[in-house]
Amino acid sequence: MIKVKNLNAGYGKLQILFDVNAKIEKGKITTVVGPNGSGKSTFLKTLFGLTKIYSGEIIFKDKNIAKVPPHQKARMKIAYLPQTNNVFANLTVEENLKIAGYVLDKDKVKERIEIALNVFPELKDVLKRKAGTLSGGQRQFLAMGMALVRDAEVLMLDEPTAQLSPKLAEVIFEKIIEMRDEFGLTILLVEQNAKRALEISDNGYMFVSGRVAFEGTAEELLNHEKFKEYSLGITAI
Amino acid sequence: MILEGAIIYSNLLVLLALGLTLTYITTNVPNFAQGSYAIVGSYVALTLLKLFDINPYLSLPVLFVVGAVVGLITYLALKPLLKRGASVEILMIATLAIDLILLGAIGAYSEILSQIVGSTQAKFVFANLDFTLFGFKGILFVSTFVIILLLIGLYLLLYKTKFGIALRASMENPSLAQTMGIDVEKTRLFSWILSGALACVAGGLLPFMQEIVPSTGDLIIISIFAASIVGGLRHISGALIGGYIIGLSESLITYYLSQAFGTGFLVYGKVISLIIMILTLLIAPYGITGVDWRKVKKMLFTS
Amino acid sequence: MIIEIISLILLWFGIYYIVSLSLNMEFGYAGIPNFGKALSVLVGAIAVGGILDRLLILYFGVGGDFITGTTYATSMLNDLIASNPIVGIGILILAIILASILGFIVGAIFILPSAKLKEDYLGVTLLAISEAVFLICMYNLNIIGGYYGISTPDILAFVPGEYRGWAFTGIVLFIAFLVYLFFERLLNTPFGRVLRAMRENEDTVKAFGRDIMMLRIKTMAIGSAIGAIAGALYSLYTVNIIANAFTRVEWTFFPFLMVLLGGKGNNKGVALGVLCYVVVKVLLDVYKYNLKYTLNIPFEPVWLSYMLFGVLMLLILYYKPSGLIPEKPIITPPMKKKIMEISNK
Repeated sequence: MIKVKNLNAGYGKLQILFDVNAKIEKGKITTVVGPNGSGKSTFLKTLFGLTKIYSGEIIFKDKNIAKVPPHQKARMKIAYLPQTNNVFANLTVEENLKIAGYVLDKDKVKERIEIALNVFPELKDVLKRKAGTLSGGQRQFLAMGMALVRDAEVLMLDEPTAQLSPKLAEVIFEKIIEMRDEFGLTILLVEQNAKRALEISDNGYMFVSGRVAFEGTAEELLNHEKFKEYSLGITAI
Repeated sequence: MILEGAIIYSNLLVLLALGLTLTYITTNVPNFAQGSYAIVGSYVALTLLKLFDINPYLSLPVLFVVGAVVGLITYLALKPLLKRGASVEILMIATLAIDLILLGAIGAYSEILSQIVGSTQAKFVFANLDFTLFGFKGILFVSTFVIILLLIGLYLLLYKTKFGIALRASMENPSLAQTMGIDVEKTRLFSWILSGALACVAGGLLPFMQEIVPSTGDLIIISIFAASIVGGLRHISGALIGGYIIGLSESLITYYLSQAFGTGFLVYGKVISLIIMILTLLIAPYGITGVDWRKVKKMLFTS
Repeated sequence: MIIEIISLILLWFGIYYIVSLSLNMEFGYAGIPNFGKALSVLVGAIAVGGILDRLLILYFGVGGDFITGTTYATSMLNDLIASNPIVGIGILILAIILASILGFIVGAIFILPSAKLKEDYLGVTLLAISEAVFLICMYNLNIIGGYYGISTPDILAFVPGEYRGWAFTGIVLFIAFLVYLFFERLLNTPFGRVLRAMRENEDTVKAFGRDIMMLRIKTMAIGSAIGAIAGALYSLYTVNIIANAFTRVEWTFFPFLMVLLGGKGNNKGVALGVLCYVVVKVLLDVYKYNLKYTLNIPFEPVWLSYMLFGVLMLLILYYKPSGLIPEKPIITPPMKKKIMEISNK
């Protein structure tokens, strides 16, 4: 689905990503793990066009989209969910869902909102409330629901379970699986909770200091010596 | 009678402050040219009156269009600076420059118009053209009507249309709005056009209550900023609240002071606005709509 | 004619250079967007018209209302100065002292309500305060005569009329030079460097234990004191004060234009900016009616100059945001030594 070739990127003059190569497969969940400051969130932002790309290619559907601005990527059915501020706090839940379908026509939006509400029935009771008054979990549901409304093919999630209780985090993971299995979404996930995230994933990448340290199927990663050491906190990578 | 004048003034102030707040929210530009926009409107209305004998009330739609163009041009003039990420001080200086250009253009135009008409048009009022209804000035009804129309229009636009929701979304979080596929640029353009249009309409009504000279814009800009800041520069509704607070207090307080201390006090209207503005900035820097009222309630409740 | 024009250019250069230097400290160095610069100049006029004139009225025991009182009192003083030049020089020094003290106090108070605000609110507040004081001075005839105007002493009453212009120009240039030296010294001290640091990043300055509010108050107090000196000189030069002369355009916008044209943060650059502006201004003033009739402009040339200067400002902001002579990096003596060491290796 997405192929990344020799990507170098960062903020202004500060380079964060070095020569990254990756492949995100269609209809699969790919998880990026790594310690703090390893550039995994920057990787997502870069794919969506929110950082400065110095060199390299991002191939999506046989086209290099490295230079395409964010609002046009949204029209290419790529959705990106930032870690914070991922809903419009002053808009109602209903308006948020509507605005998510901004690029679609009217009937299509209605249909997609129906679908999203079926996946996230929790939102049905709070449609008229302002998103700013929702709980953390509800907000995350809304943000993911908005991605569904958009009819996205690729969904990039930046730490969706951050600051949620373990119980709620589990629900979010279940929803992610549901989105892949029911709608065939291609999902790219960045997670702190690396072990649990890899357990639900198909493929995984481990980033260290802005480079891909190793890659493979999620299972391979889970069983990799280095990963075990990292997740147990034995060695600092 | 004094209340009548205060309400008229407040209505016009709301029109002006709304535009100021709108462009501040979308582009972060405090626009010092807002007052001169209005005076452009005043002179266009005067021209239509003198040359084509059109009643200023009837020329309001024309003023709306003219103002839209002035707002658009301002935005285009600021755009190179916005694109470069210029600091807010530089943007303010740029709007001061645009204000000066407008002042020069209005002054020059007033003299050209004087030559065409054959009598001086540097100072003028429309008050003599106004009608009365139930013993009240026509401008009271017209300005109130314009405000009601505007509020209904804005409500429908912002809450009932797709573009309006997108506009509110872009105001709150432009980068997230972009990820939704919204072209944020369009919403910025729209806010400047609307801002200019509303100011020009206000300018067409202003001569019904006060004398206009080319530099009147530089005078009313204090009240406009006071209204927007008191209401809160971060919320559109702030302009409405602030406009009435400043408009009413500027008129009423000055009136009562002049009753007590003599008519000399009538010139201190702007000082009243200024004092209210400074007090607001000291107590609630983000204005009335920027205050977390729930927190205030809690504080009062616990103490 | 040409001699007179040169004299006028130099005179205006001196007055505007004083104002622009003070603005350069406030805006160019400290980053305070002082859109109320005109207030400090007006304060200088108040020091001369509102205080000095009143003292004279008291001294000479002139009766009647304030406005006509100033006429009698100043003409009595002028007779005195004509026979004794020392009095004239004394009055000049007194006016400058009064203006700088009043300016210092007003500047410190002026910034108080907004000392903690962000740049945009700060700029708006300063502009609003300045404009409100201007309006009061304009319509309240008891302060400096408002739109009627009052007389001020002619400190050069002893100089024959044809040389007065040049003599006054000399005085203004001399004071402008002193002000330049003052700022060059002041801004090359740690104080000047802290101001620049404050402009770049307030938090860093706070982290080093400096109180931002106190720095802003000091800056505005000094800046306004110097601005007031320019206002006093201007009021003494014209031998009368009309409140209408102290507009935002003339004493806030144009100084900003000069500072930005020359290069903010650079006192030598500002001199160039002031000179460019003043040459254009004086030529426009002198030849405005020739211009009007030869080009057949159907309106007063002042409106044209507003449009021109407004456009010029935008052009500077677009194409020369750091001015004709950009700010130089700070090199302190220890740094200089280090650089020498490195380059010698």
